[in-house]
Order: sequence, then structure tokens, then C-alpha cells
Amino acid sequence: MPDIGGEPLFVLEFGDILHYYTPYTITLFLLALIFTGLAIASRPERQIDIAFGGDAYYAKETTVSEMRFRRFMAIACGLATMGAMGSGDLFNFTLFVSLVGIANIGIVAAVKSRHVLDAAYEYGIVAMVATLPLFGGAALVAATTGTLAIPVLAGGGFAVPLVAKAFLALGVIGEGMAPFYAAKAEMFRAPGAPYVIMCSLSSLLIFLRVVEIVITI
Amino acid sequence: MIIPEYSLGLLVAFAAMGVAFFAMMRETDGFHRLLLTDLIEVVSLAFIALIGTDLAEALILPGLVVGTSELIALSEIYRIKEGYTRPPDAGLQIEVMESAPGILAALLVVYGIVLSGFSGGVVAGLGVLFYLLCRGHNERFELIETASGYSWALWIIAFFIFMILPQYWFFAVMLSGSAILVKVMAKMSLIGTMRGGPNA
Repeated sequence: MPDIGGEPLFVLEFGDILHYYTPYTITLFLLALIFTGLAIASRPERQIDIAFGGDAYYAKETTVSEMRFRRFMAIACGLATMGAMGSGDLFNFTLFVSLVGIANIGIVAAVKSRHVLDAAYEYGIVAMVATLPLFGGAALVAATTGTLAIPVLAGGGFAVPLVAKAFLALGVIGEGMAPFYAAKAEMFRAPGAPYVIMCSLSSLLIFLRVVEIVITI
Repeated sequence: MIIPEYSLGLLVAFAAMGVAFFAMMRETDGFHRLLLTDLIEVVSLAFIALIGTDLAEALILPGLVVGTSELIALSEIYRIKEGYTRPPDAGLQIEVMESAPGILAALLVVYGIVLSGFSGGVVAGLGVLFYLLCRGHNERFELIETASGYSWALWIIAFFIFMILPQYWFFAVMLSGSAILVKVMAKMSLIGTMRGGPNA
């Protein structure tokens, strides 16, 4: 096993399917945990628009139902990211990553304004298309090596095809595109901004994890 | 271990992937692109199905669930984005749907109970779905949900029996088989009560 993540600190086995944490992944896991806590604790900001050429300004209201929905989606996104960090099974990893994608669609799409919904729709199509390389990559690994367990694959003796690794990385790139579309919709200054941070964080973390996986297997 | 059939299937899947992505690239209409993503989902399921083992069978279901949930979420976004709202219709006015549901539903439910398990639940659920779609219904969601919840608990109990007391496997098989039947049937019958009303 290339020692990229360090020795596993904790392993929870369900037969071939297992969860494990190395110093590398536990750092990522803790980051996701902290930011999920922040999403639970923080209150959404109000966007202030200043009328040009005068003293007047107006604050946009964030309704309680919208706030609840986005907070729920942010928490779901955090939990899915934590799952993706700890998963030692390639297929479970892909499922967690696509769950991150679905939660991100929810975070972006909660604002009922035309250009935000447009961006959410575009991102949703990218996320759906990305499931093909994601699941395809995992399926190719399963078909050529007969196993999906990352520690077993890391043990050596398996020729994981390069195309499968490329597919996995490509799929994660597709699912992790949310911050790009959030920026496109100017969501970082839209009402209820703090939850958008979860998009950025989750996509960063799943990138870091997939790099580790691709190097390890 | 690569068998020739697998390589051949992989070739076809890659070709289908190329066609799907090309179509996706050419299409500009939002709604048509949404439909095309479903084509891509199917190709990704084909990739999993090509493994051709029990594992593939177990992996297809979560893949399908992910694809379906993304499709539902996206169509909802599209509907709100484009401002489409439509008043609910009065339902289908077809003569056979007035007379047949009772018999067909009964046949399907009985056959589903004979099959038992997941596939039995689907067949019996189809019967109930058809009945509720054709005939009127008073929403007794609480009752259906309670039955569904209890059967889920029984299903989990059956799994614990498999793991902790494997010598009672036959009892566990019976328990899980009938519980998943009720569970799937209850879930599917709920679809039959959807009429597109304001609260649906």
C-alpha cells in the first residue's frame, strides 16, 4: 500500500465492505464535521442592496422555510461528505459522492430566483451526467479485479485499468462542480449565504479523497 | 479475468456513451437535455450490469435510485424555473378502468403473495396501484405508513436473526419475505393515490 494516507487508525468491517480512517482521511472527516456544525449553528445572512446615489438600502428577507431547507441540505451534504471520507468500499464511495451532488443541487436550488434556478439546473445536468463515469469507473474496477475494497486493492497484485481510475476522477470532478455554478449565480452574496460554503468544502474534500484513492489502488 | 462477452459488451457500452455525450453536446433545449441525461443514466447502469454477477444486481439498485432521485429533483427545478403549473385533471375516463380494477387487482395481489419477497411486493403493489388509480380513494396514509413501518422493522429483525441466530434461518426467510412484500406493496400503492393535487 503506498503510504499516502498513513496507517489505518480505525477499521470497521462489514465483510468486504469496510470503513476506515487514516490520519489523512480523519483530517478531512474532522473538517467536514466542523463545517457541518457551523452550518447547524450559523444564521443566514441578509443580503443588503444599496440604492445607487443615495443613502437608501434594502435588506432581502430569507424565509424560515427556505432557511430550514437549505440547512437540512447543508447537513445532509456534510454527512455524505463524512461518509465519503471514511468509506473503504469503492462503490459506497461513489454513492456518497453522488449523494453530495444531490445535496448540492438542493443547496443551490433553494433560492427561488430565475438565474439561481438556471445555474442549479445546469449543475444538476452536469451532476447527472457525471454519474456515468463515476459508476462506470467503479464497475470497471469490480469487473477487472473482482473486488471493490480499497485496502484489498491497495494490497497489490491487481491491475486496475487506467481508464477506470480516469473515470472515477472524472466523475468526482463532475459531481464537485457545484461551487462553479454557485459562483456563476453569485450565490456567495445571495440570501442565506453560509450554506453555500458546504458546496465548496464538500467538493474540495471529495477531490482530495479521490486523489488518494486513485493513487492508492 | 476478462471474458470476450464482457469486452464486447464494454465496446457497445462505450459506443452508446459516445452517442449519448454527442447528443448531449448538440442539444440546446433545456427539457430535451433533461431527457438525454436519462439516456446517460441507462448507459451507466449498463456498465454495472455488464459485471454479470450477483454483485451487479446489488449495485444496480442504488445506481437506479441515485439516477431517479436526481431526475425528480431536476424536473422539479425545471418546473419551477419555467413557471409551469397545471390544474389537476378529473382523471382518465376509460370504460375498462371502471369495471376491471377489482378483478385485476385481486389477481395481481394473490399472485404477488404467492411470489413473496421483493418481486412479489412489486406485483402485488402494481395491483393495489392500479386499483387506487382507477377507483376513488380516501387517503388513509397513516394506515399504509404504519403497515409499511412495522414491516420494515420485521425485515430488520429478520436480518438480525440471520446474523445472530443463523440456525433459525428458515423463520428469518419467511419473516423477511413477507415483510418486504408488505413494505414494497405499501410504498407502491401510495403512487396510485397521487392525482397531482395541490398537496400531492
